[in-house]
Amino acid sequence: MLNILVVDDSLIIRKNIKKYITNLGHSIAGEAKNGTMAIEKCKELKPDLITMDITMPDMDGITAVKKIREFNTKSNIIMITSHGQEEMVVSSLKAGAQGYLLKPINEEKLSQAIGNIYEEYTEDLDDELLDDDLLDD
Amino acid sequence: MNIEETSSLEHDILSPLIQRSISFLKDDLEIDVISENIDIISPKKVKLKKNTAMLGTGGSVQVLITMGYDDKLLDKVVEAFLEGEEVEEDELEEIQESVSCEVVNTIVGNALKNPLDGTTLGITPPILISEAKSLFKQKSSHIAAATIKTEFGEMLLTAVGPKELFSDTLNFKEL
Repeated sequence: MLNILVVDDSLIIRKNIKKYITNLGHSIAGEAKNGTMAIEKCKELKPDLITMDITMPDMDGITAVKKIREFNTKSNIIMITSHGQEEMVVSSLKAGAQGYLLKPINEEKLSQAIGNIYEEYTEDLDDELLDDDLLDD
Repeated sequence: MNIEETSSLEHDILSPLIQRSISFLKDDLEIDVISENIDIISPKKVKLKKNTAMLGTGGSVQVLITMGYDDKLLDKVVEAFLEGEEVEEDELEEIQESVSCEVVNTIVGNALKNPLDGTTLGITPPILISEAKSLFKQKSSHIAAATIKTEFGEMLLTAVGPKELFSDTLNFKEL
């Protein structure tokens, strides 16, 4: 189970993403309405995964990801945006995100994106457990 | 689609917005569109719907886009977004505003690219226009508008561009 921080300025999108996350068996770490709040929440909550909207007031999602990566390299990040152009995907990945979801979002799309991250996450956990076992031995 | 007065604002901005709006209503929200043959007009004045959200594009192509709904259509759009979930009465207005803004954000982001070079067109976060009644064309501006009729009422799309972005033939200027 992943602990997920939901970042979006839209109430309806936060509401729907939280519902999808719960339906998929993960937990809500918290939520934020803009990039500045997302940075604070990320420091406080240390989520496994962040869903991050790109177009937000105050601080956009790509800037927020860059700032989060200055102190946190462990949380995975899925960018959520209405822009389908390749350059936006590249900008997101360059900023430090692991995934990209095109609006409109539904549970199936989110499930696939989280599923990809979750596989990587469990692989990382397995590696850490293996390392611990080796150290114990 | 009938385009009576052709210019880049109509072809490059409003036309893709109409197409994406129709597919969004039909495919994503399962709301029937009565006719897909939409006229684009270039009026001097547009009376806005009571429920209207607006955003702007940035960079070299600066256009204001509004998207407004009849009450019943907005109710159906909100219902589709809520996916059967019930909300408290005191939360409903905020949800409606959020959905209005989210739809314009999704459609504009999905549909538009920079007509000059095909790159991503930056968009501002959407805002809700609560008291505005009409848009008036000024000397330096150009308005394009279209109405999509659905089984639950109308969606009104408008695009407003400053005149200095256009050449004499109303094509976008390289800045």
